Amino acid sequence: MESLKNLSEERIISDLLPQKFGIRGKLWIALLLAICAVGAYAYIQQLRKGLAVTNMGDYVSWGIYISNFVFFVAVSLVGSLITAIFRLANVPWRTPLTRIAEVIAVSNITFAALIIIVDMGRPERLYYIFTHGRIQSPILWDVIVISTYFCMSLLLLYITLLPDIRIMITATSKQKNRLARFYRWLGGYWIGTPQQEKIRDRSITILCILIIPVAFCIHTVTSWLFATTYRPGWDSTNFGAYFVSGAFLVGAGAVAVAMYVFRREYKLDAYITDAHFDKVGKLIVLLALLYLYFNVNEYLVPAFKMRKDEQAHLSGLFSGEYAPLFWFTIMIGMIIPIMVLVFRKGRRPRSLFIVGIMVVVGAWFKRYLIVTPTLLHPFLPKYDAPARFSHYFPSWQEWAITMGSMAGALLIITVLIRIFPIISIYKTLEDKNKIVESHETAESFGNVQMS
Amino acid sequence: MKQPNHSGTCKCLSSFVAVSLLCALFSLAARAQDSTKAPTVLAINYFLPATHVPYLEVSTKTKVGRKFEPVKGVRVMVYCNEQSASHLLGTVTTGETGIARLGIPPSFRDTWDSSGQFKFIAAGDSATGNGDLNSDITIKKAILVVDTVTQDGVRTVTGTLKEREGDTWKPVPNIDIRLSVKRMDANLSVGDKDTYTSDSTGLSTAQFKRDSIPGDSRGNIILVAEVDDNDTYGNLFAEKTVNWGRAFTPPSNFFAQRTLWSTRFKTPIWLLAIAYTVVIGVWGTIFYILFQLVRIKRMRTS
Repeated sequence: MESLKNLSEERIISDLLPQKFGIRGKLWIALLLAICAVGAYAYIQQLRKGLAVTNMGDYVSWGIYISNFVFFVAVSLVGSLITAIFRLANVPWRTPLTRIAEVIAVSNITFAALIIIVDMGRPERLYYIFTHGRIQSPILWDVIVISTYFCMSLLLLYITLLPDIRIMITATSKQKNRLARFYRWLGGYWIGTPQQEKIRDRSITILCILIIPVAFCIHTVTSWLFATTYRPGWDSTNFGAYFVSGAFLVGAGAVAVAMYVFRREYKLDAYITDAHFDKVGKLIVLLALLYLYFNVNEYLVPAFKMRKDEQAHLSGLFSGEYAPLFWFTIMIGMIIPIMVLVFRKGRRPRSLFIVGIMVVVGAWFKRYLIVTPTLLHPFLPKYDAPARFSHYFPSWQEWAITMGSMAGALLIITVLIRIFPIISIYKTLEDKNKIVESHETAESFGNVQMS
Repeated sequence: MKQPNHSGTCKCLSSFVAVSLLCALFSLAARAQDSTKAPTVLAINYFLPATHVPYLEVSTKTKVGRKFEPVKGVRVMVYCNEQSASHLLGTVTTGETGIARLGIPPSFRDTWDSSGQFKFIAAGDSATGNGDLNSDITIKKAILVVDTVTQDGVRTVTGTLKEREGDTWKPVPNIDIRLSVKRMDANLSVGDKDTYTSDSTGLSTAQFKRDSIPGDSRGNIILVAEVDDNDTYGNLFAEKTVNWGRAFTPPSNFFAQRTLWSTRFKTPIWLLAIAYTVVIGVWGTIFYILFQLVRIKRMRTS
């Protein structure tokens, strides 16, 4: 934050205003669009031929789509962690992270909702959930809570953007292009009067208070989709807390990756400083320890009892078919991040970036391991089932749709940072003024003592 | 100025790459093991169901990794006694489950009635490249009958197996017969044991111990006698309907109650109250925030 002291307001505004993409940015967009196009082609195939194009069957009826859904929901929780919790706790260094977290939350919750429609097979079934849904079913709770969280995340992003939109309108006042017109349509009514400020500030506080329980609900309800089903590995009263802690970890990992990329690409070293990486690194250590604790509870207690009907599932994870993937996720998702980030050197930007990637990759495979091995080991014996039902490896269509959804989420983030400042200009100017004021106050006190 | 030390980063990156490679190698090894494919195996079996219309079942499977997988689309020719055109019973093609069935055609009735023992031969169609597939089974014609005896209030189920010898049916001793009650997914043994061995008169007997078992609306249950996969007689089945079960009347108000498993129109009141309170509370606040935005917008003009 101290680095802002020597920057002029004009410099801050010009640094943080959205910039046109260079050649690398355009290539990045082209790559994402290409992956999305392959995903869309695979989805068209699925629409034409049905879910038969997937490798899901009677036993593994929730495959890679649901793993991906849980992953997206988990990442989206970071909006409530960084924006809401940090704001209510008045964390002074949160400014450069807030917008990143909000953008990640909006993009991920959008694709969490879309991937559920993909998993339904026939998209019109979403309509039937509203017309024929039973409130007794956790599936309906999930649909309600995801739509609610989506609206709240969008609202939070929009309201916090209003002063920045005014700055962008001023910056583009001489332009008559589409973007300038879009800014005027979106927030031209914001002048920044004390009354407007007061209402905006109170609205953000209300949203921040409300979004925390809704965020907890969204992932708790997602965990209940599993925990209310009597299956090995899912029959747990611990699942809500286990999922929420894992979600905060992967969200923080995603923010660490985004911080590094944006700082590097947009030369934001003065705004996203090494101190920010250090603090986010410490936060990840805390969250990884918490998630590790829940993992120990989830696996060690059933392994200690080793009930006969859960034995095949647990053995498959610890030393069987899924053991390499299981230990891989535990290592790269929790153990290595803790070991690296516990040291100051490990919390440097590049190290944190690599650890962030490890946390995110580990988290995706962790969701795959929560879903698939359990479904392959039902309590009731398999009766008259073809041998292929005993294995699951996603078809190319499933992979393509999954990769397409991930590219889509990244595309939303990319488009949003092209349109809006990735760090709040208004809040950064406010932070700078506070620092200058505090220095002036300190100097004046110093002068009094001197005289 | 102190130079940044990237050794920790490099170590971290190399560990990550090493673990990733290890994981990929494990996956490849596992998949390579699974993809080892053995030659196709052909088998033929004889069935005499309760309808007394015999049929033959051919199956094709192959070993993939450590498990058998069905092989579909294999064309198989089935012969009776000799592998020649005049003895061809028919040609079948295995389906999704690797199984195909063939009834004994009416044109073979005289042959069927004339003898008590037959050899059935299944041969892959050489025109489709399956000429090396071959299997046969020799079976003795037999008949299975299930019956009941009630004496001094004790209910007994009997299964009798008789084989064809010349023009007569002779009892077959020392054969394991399964005596059970037909249920929805599988059959339930009538007594404590899984199978009952036939005595010198070909009779296997089991005391019926399922007195309170639910039947249909009249209390009817179906008793089943089975001989499974016998080397000499194949697979034989017999059924008999008896009024030994408990009449089942579905509860008339089962779905009329407000429960967690009822229809959406019968949701428990407490759940509706919680759900509506939460949804109205949260969405009420969202609409309040939207209203605040409208207020902010109006302030511009005022």
